[in-house]
Amino acid sequence: MSANIALLLHIAFAHLRVRARQTIVAMLGVSVGVGFFLAVSAMMIGSQTDFIRTLIDSAPHIIVRDEARAPPQQPANERFGDGAVQMHGLRARDEVRGLKDWPAMLEAARAIPGVSAAPALSGGVAVRFAGRTEALGLTGVDPRIANQIVDLDEDLVGGQLADLENVQNGLIVSTQVGRRLGANIGDTVVISSSVGVVQRARIVAFIDSDARAGAEGAAYALLRTAQVLFARPNIVNQIQIRVPNPDLALTVAAQLEAQWGYKWESWQERSRDIMNALVIRNIIMYAVISAILLVASFGVYTVISTNVTEKRRDIAIMRAMGFADHDVTRVFLIEGVVVGALGAASGFVLGTILMQILASIPFRIMGDVFYIPLDRGIHQYAIAGGVSMFSAAIAAWLPARRAAKVDPVDILRGAA
Amino acid sequence: MSARLEARGVKRTLIDADDEVPLVRGVSFSVNAGEFVAILGPSGCGKSSLLYLLGLLDRPTEGEVLLDGAHTSGLSADERTRLRLEKIGFVFQFHFLLPEFTAMENVALPMRRLARLSRVEAEARATLLLDALGLKGEGRKRPSQMSGGQRQRVAIARSLANDPVLILCDEPTGNLDSVNSEMVVRVFQRLAHEEGRAIVCVTHDDNVAAAADRRIRMRDGEIVADER
Ligand SMILES: Nc1ncnc2c1ncn2[C@@H]1O[C@H](COP(=O)(O)OP(=O)(O)OP(=O)(O)O)[C@@H](O)[C@H]1O
Ligand SMILES: [Mg+2]
Repeated sequence: MSANIALLLHIAFAHLRVRARQTIVAMLGVSVGVGFFLAVSAMMIGSQTDFIRTLIDSAPHIIVRDEARAPPQQPANERFGDGAVQMHGLRARDEVRGLKDWPAMLEAARAIPGVSAAPALSGGVAVRFAGRTEALGLTGVDPRIANQIVDLDEDLVGGQLADLENVQNGLIVSTQVGRRLGANIGDTVVISSSVGVVQRARIVAFIDSDARAGAEGAAYALLRTAQVLFARPNIVNQIQIRVPNPDLALTVAAQLEAQWGYKWESWQERSRDIMNALVIRNIIMYAVISAILLVASFGVYTVISTNVTEKRRDIAIMRAMGFADHDVTRVFLIEGVVVGALGAASGFVLGTILMQILASIPFRIMGDVFYIPLDRGIHQYAIAGGVSMFSAAIAAWLPARRAAKVDPVDILRGAA
Repeated sequence: MSARLEARGVKRTLIDADDEVPLVRGVSFSVNAGEFVAILGPSGCGKSSLLYLLGLLDRPTEGEVLLDGAHTSGLSADERTRLRLEKIGFVFQFHFLLPEFTAMENVALPMRRLARLSRVEAEARATLLLDALGLKGEGRKRPSQMSGGQRQRVAIARSLANDPVLILCDEPTGNLDSVNSEMVVRVFQRLAHEEGRAIVCVTHDDNVAAAADRRIRMRDGEIVADER
């Protein structure tokens, strides 16, 4: 069997060598297809990974809020269920806002290896300075652990998260809000909460809202400060969680939600619209790239089809000698696969060179120099190689089947 | 002793559009080991058609071909291919060599397909076969670099590659001058008489006919005479 494959390979290479020019053209078609596949997918996947990373890292992987997915059952319904009696006009019981078992939930989340969790209390506030007012979403955090969930310090200017503890009622707002209020670090502003508590606070740092998407209207204070502002001592309405592998956030969230109730929102759920858009983007990319590879395989089809037609006489003599019909089919199939393999191999080289060029182009956006993020993952090579070899094999197989149908007697009669 | 090759009432009809064209109309004969048989007859009488049937390249419409006493009509296409590879050697008028390969590689091909010998052994044996046909030192040439007579001898060497018991030739000397055709005839005599192979040779060449042990004459797809 292997001896036979070696023989068929020998014959296939002899055919390809005779038609070297056509073979090389077909091979270059495949290699251009593979090269551009690699360059384009490296760019697309690279930018996507980069984008998702900022998406993931700019907020906690999972946020638990004091809301449920379905409204809670009223006690009367719980008691009587769907009995014969229907009750209308029941007065709904007022829920106490806040996460009820938050210390236990925090423990449960932290019990999962590698997971960090931190409590927070958030709500709407108005910040006033020099007669100007800004409405902001204030989050009260514990600076000692909040940085483990999201690295806030990275995007802070003029101070650190830990500085919140160094002054009475420290506050962090975005650079943009700071500009609009005309407030600087060290200035004292007035905060009033939605429940009517008014306090003075001092700005200890700014969040760079250019660097951090969606941070413009955010403000941070100590958890303690927030609890006083919202008049909810010892209550938190958020648990923020970081998981070691962001891909697992969805399953971890679902698991804890089943156990504890409340809404455990993973980053995947939060960014579902964006993720859907990325899926569509990927579908478009793979459609375009498959079309490139499909076109490349037309070249393989042409060269193999021509070979089969030109080698009818050789096919007849091989059959008379004792080669089976599947032997001759294999010869031409091998020719296609060889063209595909050589094309894929040279395409790998071309693709790597293209990536190298792309990676070296600097882009200047508002004074900062950026390079295109590229994904040079091995699996891109595997996909490009696999798809191009597969389509080359199909493109060769179609004409190769014709080789098996050549009737040696017809050819011998015609020549005699 | 059973015959090496036997044709029993072999008929071959070509169905062409509406009408049937009879190529071979009921032919029976047998050939023993060591026998050199010439098939003669006017152009178009069905000699080549009969040869393709005897060589298992074509299937008879009626009747049967037996090889070493074994029936062949019930065999699958692959089994017939296998028999061709192991037992039958073909030589055609237009020497049909594969142009991309050297003389030696052409001769080695059937051995490599049979795979009883390694590639090196097959090529060594191919060189010996070429030497025996007076082509010493010519093995590295491609067919396009050889004369007609040389190519025909390469084709004969190739037909001998797997040590076949039956050699079928279709006008092997049709393209050769008298010197070359004389040489080919002597090779066939040696292959039959000294090596015990059965040889069936379709020919228009009087020299070949005279050198054969038997002459089968055909007309219109039938045997009209069988002379010793
Ligand atoms: N495809 C075909 N369609 C119709 N008739 C055919 C076909 N092939 C062969 N024939 C006919 O079959 C008959 C036998 O042909 P064959 O080639 O066997 O003759 P032959 O004896 O070998 O002739 P030659 O000595 O010229 O080679 C001829 O009359 C030929 O015209
Ligand atoms: Mg003929």
